[in-house]
Amino acid sequence: MKVTTNASRLVTQIVVGEVWPPLSDRNGFRVDANGQAFFLPGMGGVTLGVHCGDIATRLLGDHVEPGLSVRSAKESVNYALQFLTCIGNIVTVMSGPSAGKQGFVIGQHAYVLVDMPEEDMAQVTTGDQVSIRAVGQGLRLLDHDNIHIKNLSPELLEGLAGGTNSSGALDIHVARIIPPEAIGAGSGMVSEYANTDLMGTYPDLDSSFSLGLEDLRIGDVVAMIDQDHSFGRGYREGWISIGIISTGSASLFGHGPGPSTIMSGPADAFNVILDENSNIKFLADLLKVKS
Amino acid sequence: MTESRTTVTVNALGYVGHSESSGEPFRIDRHGVTYVPTGDGGIVLNYRVGDSIFALDADHASPGVSVSHPNPDAAHSLVAQSCIGNIAQVRTGAATGALGVVLGKRGEGSRVLILFAPGVMELIRPDDQISIATEGQGLSDSDMESHIFNISSTLFNSLSFKKSGEKLFRIPVRTSFESKYVGNGIGRPMPLWDVDLQIYELPSGVSDIHIGDIVAITNLDARFNAGYRNGWISVGVVVHGSSPQPGHGPGVTIFLSGPESEFELLSDPQNHVGLTESRLLALAASLKR
Repeated sequence: MKVTTNASRLVTQIVVGEVWPPLSDRNGFRVDANGQAFFLPGMGGVTLGVHCGDIATRLLGDHVEPGLSVRSAKESVNYALQFLTCIGNIVTVMSGPSAGKQGFVIGQHAYVLVDMPEEDMAQVTTGDQVSIRAVGQGLRLLDHDNIHIKNLSPELLEGLAGGTNSSGALDIHVARIIPPEAIGAGSGMVSEYANTDLMGTYPDLDSSFSLGLEDLRIGDVVAMIDQDHSFGRGYREGWISIGIISTGSASLFGHGPGPSTIMSGPADAFNVILDENSNIKFLADLLKVKS
Repeated sequence: MTESRTTVTVNALGYVGHSESSGEPFRIDRHGVTYVPTGDGGIVLNYRVGDSIFALDADHASPGVSVSHPNPDAAHSLVAQSCIGNIAQVRTGAATGALGVVLGKRGEGSRVLILFAPGVMELIRPDDQISIATEGQGLSDSDMESHIFNISSTLFNSLSFKKSGEKLFRIPVRTSFESKYVGNGIGRPMPLWDVDLQIYELPSGVSDIHIGDIVAITNLDARFNAGYRNGWISVGVVVHGSSPQPGHGPGVTIFLSGPESEFELLSDPQNHVGLTESRLLALAASLKR
């Protein structure tokens, strides 16, 4: 993206976490939109077979987290891990057979989510340690004071299409436009942690539940209309938030594939360009991750 | 006809909440400005049913007392089973014996919101024990696709939304909101949560919105978890006031949700009268065993 930033002044820190186990309670089942009980895998562990560019609702799951789901055991350390880690940060596996292999952060979902090549990911499991080069929080676009940037590494920003245009707005390429009716769980929470679940994304439900968003892909750049995520997440007419789809299907009603927020500002600060190829899957090559 | 004989009444104990804070006193509003939240739980004296949702510079303030339980499972059960209109009785402290009534519920901190007469409110203290005769979950109307929940059978029947033989709920409401205004609470199970309306000023044409008002939310299916569904309507009671936080705002405890074909909304944005304190307290008194 052609844009002037303060990237040279940002701090890079090494933060570590571990692949967290999938968790359940004694009941196991949850209910879908129609009250139907379901039991499906989802959060935690290492989720294979889903990567940036894949249809987010392709797999039968609930809150599918692509790749590695990473946390830290100590609460304060974990919050720092979740808050400081940004999309596009490089992740290196520190233990187990894939030690030394690398991937990249695709978002947060109360876990840091890490995509890496399938063959390397297949050798990672619960408890394996990872280190992350955390950089990005504090990033500003020097010619766009009214756009708040968050959870965005300077490398990803550089790789995104667009930039400051001749009228002073920010050209941003997005694969999909998200209407405010789609905003589900995550509303009202801080926007440096977890993500925003999208409704209207349920391929198995009737058309009354649809907002035409069943074909979102992991890694898609999306524009959320009438959303202000500058200081949390909320409805605000005339504002736009830009996000990266970081989680897959959810059967729990009011939940769904979710974007992690990277930008937020008044609508006229952006020139949104629909571009179905706008996806962060280019990061593996850009970052030259070691596989 | 709803059949109240199918519901069960369970006495459950809750404790009056304290005002609580983390070590960081500030919250951040949607403009990035810090503020110290007031009225978010505990015992709020100067806020009554019938007051405007924007009457106080507070955060999620609710009339009456917020009640929960120190055991998380017991708190979830207390909130899930408590219904609007349930009778509550103070068991300890200076207000022992006083009767109150459930106004609604709030998620996140698992809280039941209970109204008492002003003189009683002055006597109640944090940690006082309150027993709630919980009843209402399981209420249903076999003629209707809509689900009824979070409301006592006595209160629901007294509201007479439906004439016998008809398949239509006629609901007097202050106004309706589109589902895009629903913030915190979306995607959560409705027996445990209210939903916040992300409004920071009155909608055009609406003279005021009061605590106790009945409002409708369009394109929202709230039978289980609340979520977007075209052509569905959810109806609830306004139970707490506004919030400066993004994604938050006045709260609605939903008690009825179904396809729009089963609803006629009688909107009166100027003169609507919803649930009143006198009506709710009289109802509670009538339920005393």
